[in-house]
Amino acid sequence: MNERTRGGTEPPDDYLEAAIQRLLTEHTAIAEQGLTVTRRDHSLVVCGEVESAQRREEILRLVLERFPHLPVTVDIGLIRTQAPSEVEELR
Amino acid sequence: MVIRIAAVGDVHMDRDVLGRFRPALEELPDRADVLLLAGDLTRHGTESEARCVATEFGNLGVPVVAVLGNHDYHCDEVPRVIRVLEDAGIVVLEGTNLVVERDGTRLGIAGAKGFGGGFAGRCASEFGEPEMKAFIRTTQAIADQLGEALREMDCDVRVALTHYAPVPDTLAGEPLEIYPFLGSYLLGQAIDSAPTELALHGHAHAGSERGTTPGGVRVRNVAHPVIKQAYSVFHLHAPQAGRSGKVSAITRSGSS
Ligand SMILES: [Fe+2]
Ligand SMILES: [Fe+2]
Repeated sequence: MNERTRGGTEPPDDYLEAAIQRLLTEHTAIAEQGLTVTRRDHSLVVCGEVESAQRREEILRLVLERFPHLPVTVDIGLIRTQAPSEVEELR
Repeated sequence: MVIRIAAVGDVHMDRDVLGRFRPALEELPDRADVLLLAGDLTRHGTESEARCVATEFGNLGVPVVAVLGNHDYHCDEVPRVIRVLEDAGIVVLEGTNLVVERDGTRLGIAGAKGFGGGFAGRCASEFGEPEMKAFIRTTQAIADQLGEALREMDCDVRVALTHYAPVPDTLAGEPLEIYPFLGSYLLGQAIDSAPTELALHGHAHAGSERGTTPGGVRVRNVAHPVIKQAYSVFHLHAPQAGRSGKVSAITRSGSS
């Protein structure tokens, strides 16, 4: 099954990754350039790390809102902010 | 003499991030002599996001020196962003420098945002359409300022701070196709035009930590998603006359 056959307002799947990548970067509520979007079988996987849990939720919400018929897996982590346990000596 | 440098880039602050870095930052005075911020301090470059940066990274008890990144330019509020940061005591470098003295050792920091263009043999050229020429001229002008800012400092140890990458080494992990948007060899050339000890940058969220310029300057990508901690700490040993060769070593903090 090909997304292209679904009709409606969805972009053809060859352009889907580009459309989602641009949504992630250019949508004011997201503005993430460091996420990757890949198609796995018939679903879409958004991977990467963000600075807050709210951002992860917002990404999931907006992707679902824009592409309601796509099965989406969001595998996004929160970047850790602990103090370093090591230092690098540069001589 | 050792200078302790803490650094992080790409913290992309907004209200939802407030307080996340603070516990680790409170330890800074015990761990470092200075904190360097390698750009993309905010999400969209608004004045209100800059206030979040000021709240999180102001009043730390160590000097804080920053460059801006592409995200900090997005809303065209750069002068206001800079004013908010500087009001909080954060020094913003843009083709400029600052010398900080620590126990008699002078640490010179030259900083610039930088820009793209790509790396030797695989880069854009100042040729053709006006837009393409403007792209490379922008990078060249910034690199020229960075080189000048590095060379003119009277100091014992020189550090270069940029947002964009000066070498491709620290981009490993990013798609090759986007390297020209991640940095430029012109920045590396500027860094190599002075006896620089360390070059720090951010921007490449999927890149890797370590690299070297063709001239042998150590380069570190301190983008937050790369270092996966609040900041990294580097102990820079001021160069001594007659000694040659460079050694990098990781040690547990608190062990020395
Ligand atoms: Fe960034
Ligand atoms: Fe950036």
